[in-house]
Amino acid sequence: MAEAQSKAHPTPKQYVQIAVLLAILTAVEVALYYIEQAGVSGSIVYPTLIILAILKFVIVVAFYMHIRYEKGLIARFFTVGFFGALMLYTVVLGTFGVLSSLGG
Amino acid sequence: MSDVAHEEHVHESTGIETRKLAMWIFLSSEFMFFGALITNYLLFKGRVGYPAPYPADLFDIPFTSVSSFVLLMSSLTMVLADHAIHRDDQRSTRTWLVATALLGMVFLAGQAFEFTEFVLHDPPMKLSTNPAASAFFTLTGFHGMHVLIGVIMLLTLVGVSFRKGKLSTATGLSLESVALYWHFVDIIWIVIFTVVYLIK
Repeated sequence: MAEAQSKAHPTPKQYVQIAVLLAILTAVEVALYYIEQAGVSGSIVYPTLIILAILKFVIVVAFYMHIRYEKGLIARFFTVGFFGALMLYTVVLGTFGVLSSLGG
Repeated sequence: MSDVAHEEHVHESTGIETRKLAMWIFLSSEFMFFGALITNYLLFKGRVGYPAPYPADLFDIPFTSVSSFVLLMSSLTMVLADHAIHRDDQRSTRTWLVATALLGMVFLAGQAFEFTEFVLHDPPMKLSTNPAASAFFTLTGFHGMHVLIGVIMLLTLVGVSFRKGKLSTATGLSLESVALYWHFVDIIWIVIFTVVYLIK
């Protein structure tokens, strides 16, 4: 019973609520873009945009792709692929000085 | 939470259905592919000394925001199709699959419009105009191609459902695998929208 409960997926209503949250986060991102256009420093806006993108990414993977309800093996494959690519390309961008230019 | 726990009739040693595991491994490898294309764009977008315009000069943020919203909502319709098939609600499954395919096509139409605007701009931004434009078209073009493949898989599922009378979670082209692919295309766009369009 406990196992069945832990594997229960969200209801359609909860899926819609998640979509509304994603839409709101997207609206905030676009608002931040215009706030930066209005003169606010990129060193404040850009990290916030990246945090919001990570949040949207995690929400979709966790609730729509159901990774939080899956067996650990799947999460490990996904995590290794994602963080492997992230580490590799962060090193590449750092080597070419692209990351240091993101401060706005 | 729903009482619809996704049943797994699997006999593999991993305890995970092979098709599903294969799709997760494939998607995991796709991070390397799109990571390379995004990195390529970031490396070249600031390179000066080439003919204008650069992609960032021509971005229409309100338009792309609407496209992003459409793709996000297609993830909602996709997950509702996935939910419906696990309740064996064939009619709802078809409806949500068609809705997802239509939203995907709207996104693709938006991308085609955006590319056309860039090419018809005066001066035009083409694939060969500068390295940033080349990297931009390659990245977003490959993403669009992934969306197109997703739309084809969705329409195939709809066709199979009419031909066989119903879709099953047990055999054939797995709706769950197609759903995973579709959500993956969505999360890649979440990254592209922020890194390419919103951050200068």
